[in-house]
Amino acid sequence: MKIEFILNGKPTKVEAPEGMNLLNLLREQLGLTGTKCGCDTGDCGVCAILLDKRLVYSCLVPVSQLEGHQVITIEGMQTPDGRLSDLQESFLRHGAVQCGYCIPSMILAGEALLLRNPNPAREEIREGISSVLCRCTGYQQIINAIEEAALIRQAKLKNQPEKDMERAND
Amino acid sequence: MTELKYIGKRSRPEDGLEKVTGKARYVGDYYLPEMLYAKVLRSPLPHARIVKLDASPALQVPGVLAVITAEDFINHSNFGWPVKDAYALAWKKVRYIGDPVAAVAAVSEESARAGIQAILIQYEALPVVSDIHHALDPDAPIIPDTDAPGTGNLTNSHLVRFGDPDPILENCDVVLEETYFFKHQEHAYLETEGALAIPEQDGGLTVYANDQSPFINRDNLVTLLGLPVEKVRVIQAYVGGSFGGKDDIGYQSSAQAGALALKTQRPVRLVLTRTESFLASYRREAMEIKIKLGASKDGELKAAKVNLLVDSGGYASMTPLCSWRASVHAAGAYRYQAVHVDTKSVYTNNGYSGAMRGFGNPQALGAIEQAVDELAYQLKRDPIDFRLQNCLTTGDVAMTGNTVNQTVNLAECLRMVQKRSDWDRKRSLYASNQTGNLRRGIGVACYFHGSSLGGEGADYATTTLKIEEDGLITLTSGLTDYGQGSRTVFMLIAAEELGIDIARIRIMRPDTQTGIESGPTVASRSTMVGGNATRVAAQRLNQVLYWAAAKAFHCQPNQIHRQGDLFYSPNEESLKFDEVTSLARQMGLSLYVQGKWQMPIFTWNFDTGTGVPYHCYTFGAQVAEVEVNLESGRTRMLGVWAAHDGGRIIFPQGASGQMYGGVAMGIGYALTEHFSYHQGYPQALNFHDYHIPRANDVPPIDCNFIQCDHVDGPFGALNLAEPMVISTAPAIANAIFQATGKRWRTFPLTPQVILKGSDNPDLDTSNACKKGLGLA
Repeated sequence: MKIEFILNGKPTKVEAPEGMNLLNLLREQLGLTGTKCGCDTGDCGVCAILLDKRLVYSCLVPVSQLEGHQVITIEGMQTPDGRLSDLQESFLRHGAVQCGYCIPSMILAGEALLLRNPNPAREEIREGISSVLCRCTGYQQIINAIEEAALIRQAKLKNQPEKDMERAND
Repeated sequence: MTELKYIGKRSRPEDGLEKVTGKARYVGDYYLPEMLYAKVLRSPLPHARIVKLDASPALQVPGVLAVITAEDFINHSNFGWPVKDAYALAWKKVRYIGDPVAAVAAVSEESARAGIQAILIQYEALPVVSDIHHALDPDAPIIPDTDAPGTGNLTNSHLVRFGDPDPILENCDVVLEETYFFKHQEHAYLETEGALAIPEQDGGLTVYANDQSPFINRDNLVTLLGLPVEKVRVIQAYVGGSFGGKDDIGYQSSAQAGALALKTQRPVRLVLTRTESFLASYRREAMEIKIKLGASKDGELKAAKVNLLVDSGGYASMTPLCSWRASVHAAGAYRYQAVHVDTKSVYTNNGYSGAMRGFGNPQALGAIEQAVDELAYQLKRDPIDFRLQNCLTTGDVAMTGNTVNQTVNLAECLRMVQKRSDWDRKRSLYASNQTGNLRRGIGVACYFHGSSLGGEGADYATTTLKIEEDGLITLTSGLTDYGQGSRTVFMLIAAEELGIDIARIRIMRPDTQTGIESGPTVASRSTMVGGNATRVAAQRLNQVLYWAAAKAFHCQPNQIHRQGDLFYSPNEESLKFDEVTSLARQMGLSLYVQGKWQMPIFTWNFDTGTGVPYHCYTFGAQVAEVEVNLESGRTRMLGVWAAHDGGRIIFPQGASGQMYGGVAMGIGYALTEHFSYHQGYPQALNFHDYHIPRANDVPPIDCNFIQCDHVDGPFGALNLAEPMVISTAPAIANAIFQATGKRWRTFPLTPQVILKGSDNPDLDTSNACKKGLGLA
């Protein structure tokens, strides 16, 4: 079937089998391998992407439901000139990355959370990323990274200097 | 400790940029022209003879280009270490559900699946051994081949003999005798196992694998495929987590993909599904540990006797070594007058067991740390106070009879978590009468963990360093990084020793053609062994540069001193690092060096159970605070406080990450990760059945390192990674005891255990297994 949707900000036309899921469309057909497969049964969350700014498991989204919608993957997180997003920077600063396999969807989970709740409490961050499994990190540095990115975003809105917002205790 | 320039400072993970941008390519992310997809036919029965196997019908399936069985390898595909009882594809019989029998390569995943379904196979079901207590019965069905070691289903046995505990135990004021149970634990790395094999023009093979040790993989491929060693190259792709789990299964998958690539002369990629990963790969050994522990009434531990019964499953894999590590830690980090340990590992049809983070020690310490707590309770002693009275300190004799001469900071770790957790106040608060359904408790456990391989084998690594024409320095190591941060550690050590910015160092991916064989990346040995090798390499490179600078300054090399990037003569003339490098080049000196480091030699006598098991240890303690809901049986984690005595910390964020991750894995082991078998049928097939901790299951973790410069470590560093997982589960069990007044002496402490005393689903999962393996 033919589908038109917005992928990482670009109008995209594809021809895909009707039964295909978004995960396979991204990886097999569009070559976007930043989105990973961890179980293919909707349990682990490492295939999560943003669909209309909400975090969803791409393995559970049939391509037939994509028409006209907006999809953002990890490849769409950098600025057009290639700079890292604030969350990507923050993940690096906090050493929140170990094997890295869940990290693309963790960053998108953080993004989805901050879009709907720009000023989350730590417990809200914990809940907000609970749909994505990580086996390496114990989540703490990921939570620190998202918390700091939120503070920096808030500071930018209020025109405060960024530097003071960085937290060092990992 | 002196402050260093790079080591111990905040730094970024070396490969973080590729990982946060999604550009890091794992095995499953490679798509090559003409690439074929492999799929493996696996046994749906726990124990059976293969009566008939005709693979040829697979070739009639459209899109299938090749099919292989054990006969397509040398010696029926037999491999394995330390016991050579494994097969790339099963020969004559299958020993567990998921045992691989044949493999196909096809143009698509769908064709490959249809291909394995077309294979004609007939099994004759054999009686199953699922209960470890009956594996050694005289009439038990025999699982291994006749030439396997031991007798019948005995995989291996171990012993520890330090003094004679029996007469001492007879005279102890208090003696505790209890049995503790441990189910299997699945690694549950988010990336499943896989390999991509590419045939080369010269008849050889290049394999990208997410394996534990590329050199072992290469040597297995050489043996199984009959290729000369120079024609097999193994490159480690990014690895999505391992925790000990991508050892044998990685070599097995690589051999399957490799044979198919040679047969089709096209690239072949094999990536396991999650259910295949759960069923076909190995996991942490289930164990039953019996402990007899005696103390005097004033609280001095006197003697211990420990018996371990270990479930090896269908193959030996690393169980012989895991059970040894369990044996030499089984009485814990305490002073005793005498200790005996007797261990037996047995073959069963319960999947197969092997290496997993901690390598037997989480079970060993998981048992003794509950037993010590029980004894403290009997003696009406505070659990931390009791441990402080008995725990190892510098110069003490360990449970294996060897003197621990290194600086031991175990007591400091216990005091640290006592203070940080507000232990004294909470302990007495929760001891007072609690009412209602929500009960709180706080518990402690401590650990010691032998560093590196110990008595398991030769323990060395080699790092190479080369100053390139562009002034950058390339580093190779034969050791691998699955996310634990060892690559960053090596770069920091090289930068510190060479006095140059870390940005000038680039590290190559592990590759058998560029790196040098360094033994396996296991046993948390990278920082100490690989780190020392890196330091030796950097020192050798420095020697060359000092020589060149001395020649330019007309002085002796030992008269030169360094500051950062600069070399100074005795007259304070200076040359920059790059200037000295150019001079060395002009002088014709080689700017490529190898640095090898090997652990000091010591001996453990496996026959007498005596000797020195490890050159040194790491130590630590953890406190866990819980809230148990007596109505639902659920345990909520309120906090974990951890302290680790591991020498100097080189890469602080990486070290903390190891601690947070280890604690989270320990929480899963304690509370939710339930992997058991019923008549050889696995009771968990995917993340739906097997619950690893999510972010909202993990409480705040307070992370502390008691640092000191260890004599033998690079810049004073010891090990991380494995030790972090060991104490969490027993600390949680001890906290649950304070909350509920009950001990179940089993893990995981699921709601069913808390409410009903046991949790044995005993489900017939045969259809789910068939479906999960693509057979239905």
